[in-house]
Amino acid sequence: MAEQYAIEMRGITKTFGSVVANKDVELNVRPGEILALLGENGSGKTTLMNMLSGIYAPDSGEIRVNGQPVTIASPQDAKRLGIGMVHQHFKLVDVFSAADNIWMGKEKAGFLLKKNRYDEIEAMAKKFGFDLDPRKKVHNMAVSEKQTLEIIKVLYYGAKVIILDEPTAVLTVQEIQKLFGVLRRMKADGHSVIIITHKLNEVLDISDRVAILRKGEYVGTVNTAETNEQQLTEYMVGRKVDLNIERPVVEKTRPLLEIRDLTIKNDEGAVAIDHVNFYIRGGEILGVAGIAGCGQKELCEAIAGLRPIEQGQMIHKGDNIVGLSPKAILDKGISMSFIPEDRLGMGLAPSLSITDNMLLKNYQDAKGPFVDRKQGRADAEHVIQELGVVTPSAETPVRRLSGGNVQKVLLGREIKAGPNVIITAYPVRGLDINSSYAIYNILNQQKKDGVGVLFVGEDLDVMMALCDKIMVLCHGKVMGVVHAHKTTKEELGLMMTGSLDLTNKYEDKPAGFAKDTNFAPENQGDGKGET
Amino acid sequence: MRFHVVKRDHCPLWKLLGLYVLAVAVALVLGGLLLLAMGVNPIAYYGRMFTMGMVGNKIAYKSFENYLKVFVPLALTSVALSLAFKMRFWNIGGEGQFILGAVAAATVAFKAGPVLPEPLTLVLMCLAGMLAAGLYGAFVAALKVRFGTNETLMTLMLNYVALYFITFLGETKAPWNFYLDDTSARPIFTSFASLASFPKIPIGKFGLNICVILTLLIGVLVYVYLKYSKQGYEIAVVGDSVGTARYAGMKVNRIVLRTVFLSACLIGLAAAFKVGTAGILATTITDDVGWTGVIVAWLSQLNTGAIFVVSALISMLQYGSTTAASTFSQVDSSFADMLQGAILFLVLAADFYTRFRIVPVKKGGNDNGNG
Repeated sequence: MAEQYAIEMRGITKTFGSVVANKDVELNVRPGEILALLGENGSGKTTLMNMLSGIYAPDSGEIRVNGQPVTIASPQDAKRLGIGMVHQHFKLVDVFSAADNIWMGKEKAGFLLKKNRYDEIEAMAKKFGFDLDPRKKVHNMAVSEKQTLEIIKVLYYGAKVIILDEPTAVLTVQEIQKLFGVLRRMKADGHSVIIITHKLNEVLDISDRVAILRKGEYVGTVNTAETNEQQLTEYMVGRKVDLNIERPVVEKTRPLLEIRDLTIKNDEGAVAIDHVNFYIRGGEILGVAGIAGCGQKELCEAIAGLRPIEQGQMIHKGDNIVGLSPKAILDKGISMSFIPEDRLGMGLAPSLSITDNMLLKNYQDAKGPFVDRKQGRADAEHVIQELGVVTPSAETPVRRLSGGNVQKVLLGREIKAGPNVIITAYPVRGLDINSSYAIYNILNQQKKDGVGVLFVGEDLDVMMALCDKIMVLCHGKVMGVVHAHKTTKEELGLMMTGSLDLTNKYEDKPAGFAKDTNFAPENQGDGKGET
Repeated sequence: MRFHVVKRDHCPLWKLLGLYVLAVAVALVLGGLLLLAMGVNPIAYYGRMFTMGMVGNKIAYKSFENYLKVFVPLALTSVALSLAFKMRFWNIGGEGQFILGAVAAATVAFKAGPVLPEPLTLVLMCLAGMLAAGLYGAFVAALKVRFGTNETLMTLMLNYVALYFITFLGETKAPWNFYLDDTSARPIFTSFASLASFPKIPIGKFGLNICVILTLLIGVLVYVYLKYSKQGYEIAVVGDSVGTARYAGMKVNRIVLRTVFLSACLIGLAAAFKVGTAGILATTITDDVGWTGVIVAWLSQLNTGAIFVVSALISMLQYGSTTAASTFSQVDSSFADMLQGAILFLVLAADFYTRFRIVPVKKGGNDNGNG
């Protein structure tokens, strides 16, 4: 008898229409090991894991658990076999307490909600070394708490094999370290962990072995100790890739966009951006770092004219843009693209073709009552050519494209309009290495052309390599603007959590005010008092 | 053997049409079984129904004229609804908008008919019907953009308000109530056909009502409007993603109001066509086009051309079953409703097959023999 694996997947194939998501994939997980599953977008990682957790059934192939062949036809089957998955998008009921979210999935939970469920779940959380308030409602939880809850949930159901789909995407550096601590403890307890992530440094940090998929096909499994980032990337992409992000040095211009004393409320009426001062010059990329939901979205929306501001000034090349319509702000050359979690919510109309999406911001410019589709088609062809969008045709609905291509279409349209300020939030969200680098190149090209770029990002490594300066937000307040090549991840992490405030590091001028400002002299100093 | 559902990438047109034809055929077979159970020869019945009693009939042209009277309001209402549906505004208030349009048009006919020339009266009837229905629809749209109310509930409830309003008019004998027949002791609606009636273009004995031509013309205009105009583009974007529309600088509220007003206006026009042809009001004036129109719009997947084809077929079912009922007295004309329901269900089922395939699960790997 060969080695006993906790999970064996043999010759797994899964197709969606003519798309082959997985082809003849092999995967083995030993008890008590952490296996990283690595691959580009659309390489079939999540599909493979969904088959293990009973969401999809394979077209062909065999799954064995502890050596026994099994059929996993539903998530209940997976639960019974001791397989639990923490999905990228949490599957929690917002208005329920932590305990009830766990309780409702329990088999034989009985008809009545018993009082002792809180104690039981608290005790169980403690046993695994988690810190969790079982009475806390999910909608009051931070992202990391929700994730902890998801992990406790699968452990409570008795999972021996735990699958985590991109768990680190939403966490800060410190939270990631905490999560990895938890995973190592689970491993020591004999659990098997499968972790999906794009970030190579994390793979090297946490895993014992790495399985690599490329375009749905199984490339191989390597021992983490015997590999490095360069090799993993080559396996993943299929060729050599230069992992350095360029940071061209460009002559900077006078400030294009200046923000003074800006205060914005979020949808719930709470202060999202709190007396913020900053400016962007042409030829620079200003990064905005912060934990998810720190006012990034509100800031982007306010600059684009989509959200009213409470207080403050926004000056573009010396002209006030507060109170202008979104259309008027567009016409000034300020482009905003925000990639939300679902990637399609803002900026694109998913059911419409690429051509129609190209027309979104300039359809009004055509003469007469009709839309100029000829122009749209030409623009679409141009963007498809220029950025290498993979699509059957310019008439394909955007929602049928893969994530990277969707984002290229969005950014392509924004750049085609020839903006002088680009606000871009999470442009590489969920993208693989190849597509991400394509986007970085686009942004760098814009920077060279003298455009001012505000880059709201989540990956600190990338921001430190790509941006000229990084502004850190914490609960809507600016914690300081640092030079990207001088700072460290730890420093940024501390600023993001509010433990370090560097706003008054430069004493020669008020923080966030440009020396060669376009503000009229009498406005100088406005709003200084509040920061 | 286990089966599972697999998504199709692309369904060729012949297969698509084939599936739809098959769905209709299966519905007819089901209906046929029912007819057999009632002791009616299905072939004879269907023959009568689909020829609408025109074969071997000396006044077949009359039948066709009557068929078109069923077809026009349904087609126009369905086209109107597709405008709102394209924007994902669930206007199921076609019934109510139709009734108000009909009452407004009739009011103009009664009041302006005796003093103004007939063509002018007819134009005013159309405008009044459009305005009344349009405002009734825009009211719901205004509540939605202002207070975020649910348009499905609002339009649905307003249907009943309109229905009770016309019932009230039809049942209240009073000196002010000019809609009723003075000479009758019982409250019945009176005819204004002598005052205002849409003209027919004679083609031999057959008279082609001008409303048919206008309806076809509006169909073409709506098709062009949705597909090529800036406003049609805005409707598509708002329907797809309100967030994106705002982001692109569109005035979403204005677009919603405008589109719903336009949608309801066209329903009002359908109502004006209807009363201007019938020459009388009735509490059943709508012939359920507000409901059937929803079905037609969806069966056609909001494609304007398809709407005309589907309304022609549904009208054929409805009018044909009334004609057939005169020969086959044991089969009520509501048999058409049943058949319509069966067709709807089966076409939706066929729709599923255009998007998915069902394939057996292949056993892969090596058989391990331990079952």
